[in-house]
Amino acid sequence: MREAYRSEWARVVATLIRVTGDWDVAEEAASGAFERAATTWARDGVPRNPGAWLTTAARNLALDRLRRRGVEAEKVREWMAMEEFSGRADGPRDPADVVADDEPAWDDRLRLVFTCAHPALSMDARVALTLRTVGGLDTGEIARAFHVPEATMAQRIVRAKRRIRHAGIPYRVPTAALLPERLGGVLAVLYLVANEGYLASHGDELQRLDLSIEAIRLTRTVVALLPDADEARALLALLLLQHARSAARADADGELVPLPEQDRSTWDADELAEGLELLEAPAGSDGPADPPGPYRLQAEIQAVHARARTADDTDWAAIVDRYDALAALADSPFVVLNRAIARGMAFGPEHGLDDLALLEASGRLDGYHLLPAAQADLLRRLGRTDAAAARYREAIALARTAPERRFLERRLAELG
Amino acid sequence: MQYALFYAEGPDALPYVPAEDNVGEWVDDIEARGVSEYGERLRPEHDATTVRVRDGQVLVVDGPFTEAKEAIGGFDVIDVRDLDEAIEIASKHPVASFGRVEIRPFVQWPDAEPGARIVPDGFAERAPHGRRYLMLVVAESTGERSEPAADAEPSGVDATEDDDPEAWVREMDGRGIRQFGEVLRPPSDATFVRRRRDEVLVTDGGYAESKEWVAGFDLIEVRDLAEAIEVAAKHPMARGGAIELRPLWPFDVHGDQIARAEREADERGRRLEPAAAEALAGASL
Repeated sequence: MREAYRSEWARVVATLIRVTGDWDVAEEAASGAFERAATTWARDGVPRNPGAWLTTAARNLALDRLRRRGVEAEKVREWMAMEEFSGRADGPRDPADVVADDEPAWDDRLRLVFTCAHPALSMDARVALTLRTVGGLDTGEIARAFHVPEATMAQRIVRAKRRIRHAGIPYRVPTAALLPERLGGVLAVLYLVANEGYLASHGDELQRLDLSIEAIRLTRTVVALLPDADEARALLALLLLQHARSAARADADGELVPLPEQDRSTWDADELAEGLELLEAPAGSDGPADPPGPYRLQAEIQAVHARARTADDTDWAAIVDRYDALAALADSPFVVLNRAIARGMAFGPEHGLDDLALLEASGRLDGYHLLPAAQADLLRRLGRTDAAAARYREAIALARTAPERRFLERRLAELG
Repeated sequence: MQYALFYAEGPDALPYVPAEDNVGEWVDDIEARGVSEYGERLRPEHDATTVRVRDGQVLVVDGPFTEAKEAIGGFDVIDVRDLDEAIEIASKHPVASFGRVEIRPFVQWPDAEPGARIVPDGFAERAPHGRRYLMLVVAESTGERSEPAADAEPSGVDATEDDDPEAWVREMDGRGIRQFGEVLRPPSDATFVRRRRDEVLVTDGGYAESKEWVAGFDLIEVRDLAEAIEVAAKHPMARGGAIELRPLWPFDVHGDQIARAEREADERGRRLEPAAAEALAGASL
């Protein structure tokens, strides 16, 4: 049931928003339909087309609710006429009569994804709304994932929905001219969700696998909806290649295991294979954009790790190449940091330390624990124990999660 | 949906290049689409006058309402399908490429007829009898600025008889002074649009640290600044917030923008409107 909920929630809500034009009524009706399904399906068995059953049940609930609310009969009729999914003017009243017809629901879901990720919403609102409305997570789950009180998250979601109505954010897929630009916003939301899952920004846990899985599921939806979008495929590849390593990234006690020390036999072979395959251009397409986009470049970096049989096998020069390309695309201090580490691995620790010294002098990563941590690691490789220890202590003071702090403390202790 | 577009040169503004000012084409385009209702350019900040009423005293100061680094330089009222069309229109306006365009939806009154016009038919073509001012109605933040008390109520306005904006509207309509006016949705519903090189940047309008925000506006036509101040002082929002009076700056959208920019550079810093004190000298308030 939970699986059905997660996979069908978005299409039911998406269709209901289109039919009723009201986000709250749509969500209430969808919840009601799932409740009804829980009892009906337990008694009569799961229908042939659960999605269509749920949509029809939810539509009936929504229309009843709107009628009770006193919305004029004419308005309701208008909405009924607008909906195409049943193919009949009034649609079947009994969900059991529904025949399978998936196509329009896909359009509705895509509409929902783009509306939730509209650039006129703040990034916080976009992430919360996407997880709630497209992902089917409840407010409590989202609040816990981002470490804010449930009431705060509830308010954030209410405001986002209100803003959609008042600011006039359209409920539709952007025109072809806007699509590439708007798709970037959608992918940014999913990337952010995944990032929080991959390396939690605070708390006791290193990873939030539930969030990673959610991000993969949502990105999979976008890829299914827009199969020709190279950056969408690349983002899915990136998320899969990262997630494939999640079991190896922490030991039995939940402690962080760095990439070179990970047991590569525990990497998820299916996810690695799928991720690598996604990076191949699909048959009949023109292949990746030239120059490749940021998600493709990041996915290709993960692909280099995925292909290395041992840590020493890693083609660090290829990774440096990709980071150079990324740095040319976007002026991000995090890219500079990662490139410095890669250059340290490819050409010797001194190269990495020089880059990091410049980055430190720029002040752009002040207070970010991974800068001194990276310096400490390169100093350790050079045998400069005292300098490394000082950097580890800095990093420990700045670390944001307990497992990262304990990892750095272990490294410090190993210096002797 | 109806929106007000406000043009501002923000702190991150790029230099204005008169040769690239294609505002005439922009106006032609939105008029051809039938989405344009009305637009004006405002005289610069140093010709602004701000009116407040505190404890029954009318306080008049020269200058705009806020210390913010940006000021509204002009506005347009448009009626479009949705926010995406408004963003598209805003992103093509010349100010978007060096300053910023703010998109603010109008409050849709529950009993208002859908599609009711904000700007009276033929208003733009009508020649003014007196001086035209834009009266920006400014609310002060009460912390809960982001959300109005209720959907139907403009924020900051209590429903007491004394604070009834309807009474003000009736009086000014009766005197033939108020041309049109509307209440805007709060800044939490604003959208900012910039264009930098070929990229259109859209953000939600989360205001910076400004404690004041434009809650609505009226366009008035009066004899002079003294009368404008009298009209502004009577507005209920002058008691809680402030009213900023900005003279309109007639200019030809198809005129020579380079010549215009030179003329404006010439009068920069020179006040062309009478200062509030001069305007009030001899006028009885």
